[in-house]
Amino acid sequence: MREEIREAVTVLANRYVMKWKSGGGRIVGYPCSYMPVEVIAAAGMLPFRLRAMEVVSTSIGSSYYGPVVCSFPKCILQIAGERKYAFLDGAVVCNGCDTMRRLDDCWRKANDDMPGILPSYFAHFAVPHKVTDYSVKWFAGEIRKLIDSLEKHFSVTVSDDKLKMAIAEYNRSRTLLGDLDAMRSGPDAFLSGTDAMAIFIAGTAMPAADFNALLEDVLGGLKKKKDALPGRRLLLVGSVIDDIDLFKTIEEAGAVIVADTVCFGSKDRTDLVREDGDPVAALAERYLGSVKCPRMFGDYKRRFAFLKELAEKTGAEGVILQNIRFCDLHGSENGIFERDLEAAGIPCLRMEREYGPLGDEGRVRMRIDALLERIGAGGGGSRRALSADRSR
Amino acid sequence: MRNELTEYNYDWRFWSILDNASKLFDATEKEFTSTMAYTPSFRATTGKLSTTGKAGHRLVKATARYFENILTARSRGKKIGLITYNFSPAVLFAFDVVPYCLEGMSAFYAAAWNRGIYESLDYCCEVGFTETSCSGQRVALGPVLAGLAERPDFIVCSTPGVCDSNANAFAFASAYLDVPFCQLNYPPTLTDERAVEYHRADFRNMLSFLEEQTGKKVDVDKMREVCEEIIKQDEIICEIQDYQRLVPCPVPGIFNLFIYDIKVLFSGIKDGTDILEAMLEIVKDNAERGVAGDGVERLRGFFYYIDHYCIQMKYWRWLEKNGISHIGTMMTDFWQANAPYARGREEEGYRMDLSSLDSMIDSLAAQSSRMPMVKQIRGPYDAPHMWLDDTVGVANLMKADFLAFMGTMGCRNTWSMVKLITRDMEKLGYPALILYADSFDNRIEPVDTFLGKIDEFLRVRDIRGWKGAVWK
Repeated sequence: MREEIREAVTVLANRYVMKWKSGGGRIVGYPCSYMPVEVIAAAGMLPFRLRAMEVVSTSIGSSYYGPVVCSFPKCILQIAGERKYAFLDGAVVCNGCDTMRRLDDCWRKANDDMPGILPSYFAHFAVPHKVTDYSVKWFAGEIRKLIDSLEKHFSVTVSDDKLKMAIAEYNRSRTLLGDLDAMRSGPDAFLSGTDAMAIFIAGTAMPAADFNALLEDVLGGLKKKKDALPGRRLLLVGSVIDDIDLFKTIEEAGAVIVADTVCFGSKDRTDLVREDGDPVAALAERYLGSVKCPRMFGDYKRRFAFLKELAEKTGAEGVILQNIRFCDLHGSENGIFERDLEAAGIPCLRMEREYGPLGDEGRVRMRIDALLERIGAGGGGSRRALSADRSR
Repeated sequence: MRNELTEYNYDWRFWSILDNASKLFDATEKEFTSTMAYTPSFRATTGKLSTTGKAGHRLVKATARYFENILTARSRGKKIGLITYNFSPAVLFAFDVVPYCLEGMSAFYAAAWNRGIYESLDYCCEVGFTETSCSGQRVALGPVLAGLAERPDFIVCSTPGVCDSNANAFAFASAYLDVPFCQLNYPPTLTDERAVEYHRADFRNMLSFLEEQTGKKVDVDKMREVCEEIIKQDEIICEIQDYQRLVPCPVPGIFNLFIYDIKVLFSGIKDGTDILEAMLEIVKDNAERGVAGDGVERLRGFFYYIDHYCIQMKYWRWLEKNGISHIGTMMTDFWQANAPYARGREEEGYRMDLSSLDSMIDSLAAQSSRMPMVKQIRGPYDAPHMWLDDTVGVANLMKADFLAFMGTMGCRNTWSMVKLITRDMEKLGYPALILYADSFDNRIEPVDTFLGKIDEFLRVRDIRGWKGAVWK
């Protein structure tokens, strides 16, 4: 793995961030795949996806959040409280899920006790939970509101032309990421899931133009590879992951993660934004309609069809269904995915974990071993029987 | 799930309890007492309801009918709509659909039954639902998923944008049972033009769903009938809540539960109005006599989220025994424009306008968007019209001596902001306590433990010279 990619994955204030800042650039953080990053880029700023991999405690996060909530936003608040997000000029919190949207409330209140931890620009951005003509229209209105507030606060102009340029740049990223994904999901995997994930994550922490140049370079090298990676082909599904050590642990057990549907992963690259017509409407349509997350209630069948097709297309021999503890959206959907994938003959492993540097590697490794053993033995019988019993 | 718990249909089981209990209210005192000796599982609950006279009697009878309607829906050619408590069933009555309110059932199971609810809770997890999800749905969802309750024909859920935990349970049920799903989705604001437009479009979208599911068009006359009944019910509720401001409070604590039961089970039908009329009579009589609804008033408590339902309604009985007037929860505020807490904030409330079909639909959309939780926890907790605003308003209006929070362990939304609102309320001078009990799952923190914590809190904070609770 290239050093600049590793750094972008493991260090918040990485070299790209620092270079952008030293050139007088502004940075706006966001926490969720539903944020149309093109808007921030069109405002001349760097969109930076909020993460918290440097966290070692949740003493601050837990002071504002209650005890029975997901550790991901808690850790982001911790990082903010430790002033490691001092490089942010702004942050936009959106309602990806309830715990994430309360980052708005908790961060603002923590700032009362620790003045200065809140970026000067701080906004709440709402995303509907359904796709209809009126919800897409409403969402386009919300994007326009965000544009207005960015323009007002930072004294910038976000024109349609600038939006279209940003859309084209990010569409280029998505296309290149699609090519990259193909290097691990084809019949022969030339790229490990760990390396793919690292590249995906790096893309959320650097300017799109730099990322595209880096991607083209990486792809050029990958195309010369002749030796395919050995290992059982697995698909990774569920809650947000930005910990490449988790990928590494899985792959070191004898697997290759040939595809994923997690936040920070390849989920965000699917579907391009339409480049004709009103750019705001195009963003609203793409973001609301394309990102596949259980927060869009009542849309299980579409997500299952996508997952099943992905498993078939990539030749996945097994699926890891994971969720961060207290993430009921992914956790519950994983329960039905397990039932339906097992019924389709695809072995599954359901696993709960905490966000943050992998603290329970032994447990995870043992469970992965069990899945791989089962795949190796051509198993699935007992679980399929259980699944069939449940569906009755 | 244990075999013994799979012997009977849950809906039938609870219908039979309620039906028999409702007959018992007509019995002589001797007959009542003698029969109670044979019903250890739900004796205290029935006993508690019997102390409310005609109001309790009507509530039990109406609830028995509610279950009977569910049990007989198929044979009468009617559809069953599984709904959440944040959704007014009135519109389903207008479509002649039988509502099945999951949390209403959960509260009833938790209150009236000592056995079986844990198996229901856990059954959901056995089939894939997370153990960390909200118990409010899981208690009653277990039998539905297990095929031990009537199977819904479709689901209408009104919490997307408000409560992920709630919406997720209904989405899970839809996927698991493969039944059609419709959601009402709320933006984070309440009264601005974009929000109002969204409410209206979304409600009409839901009506189209109902038309599709039932094969019927909206019936103007039926719609008017339920709207007229809503107006009557709302007037009585507002009057009762006005009386609730008196010191001592003439409203029995359990009437808070009745109010939200009526709004979530009997909104828009005569059963609800009849219960409310009986309640108002009792309240007026107490007020005229200058007595507290529960006898003596020592303290006034505002429960700024929800109540507790487990184990024979012990929480309600404990409050009454200790002279703690229950002066409301988030669950009791429905935001009629003429509600006492809406004075000066009328734009936040809803009004029923029956002048045309369109105006009735808009009124129902406005009503839906102001249901408990739907109004208060859709946006930042300290934004205008949201949880903090409402808590301050009601605590002040109802002259609360203390506040207490309890909910469910699965409530990600409130657990992500309760520390903030509690701190704000303390700064405003209200002693406020966060309880770690679960309203529907007594295993989380047993009822005696959390009641002990309330007692300790009142003593330590020396609230109106509290000397300690009566336990026997």
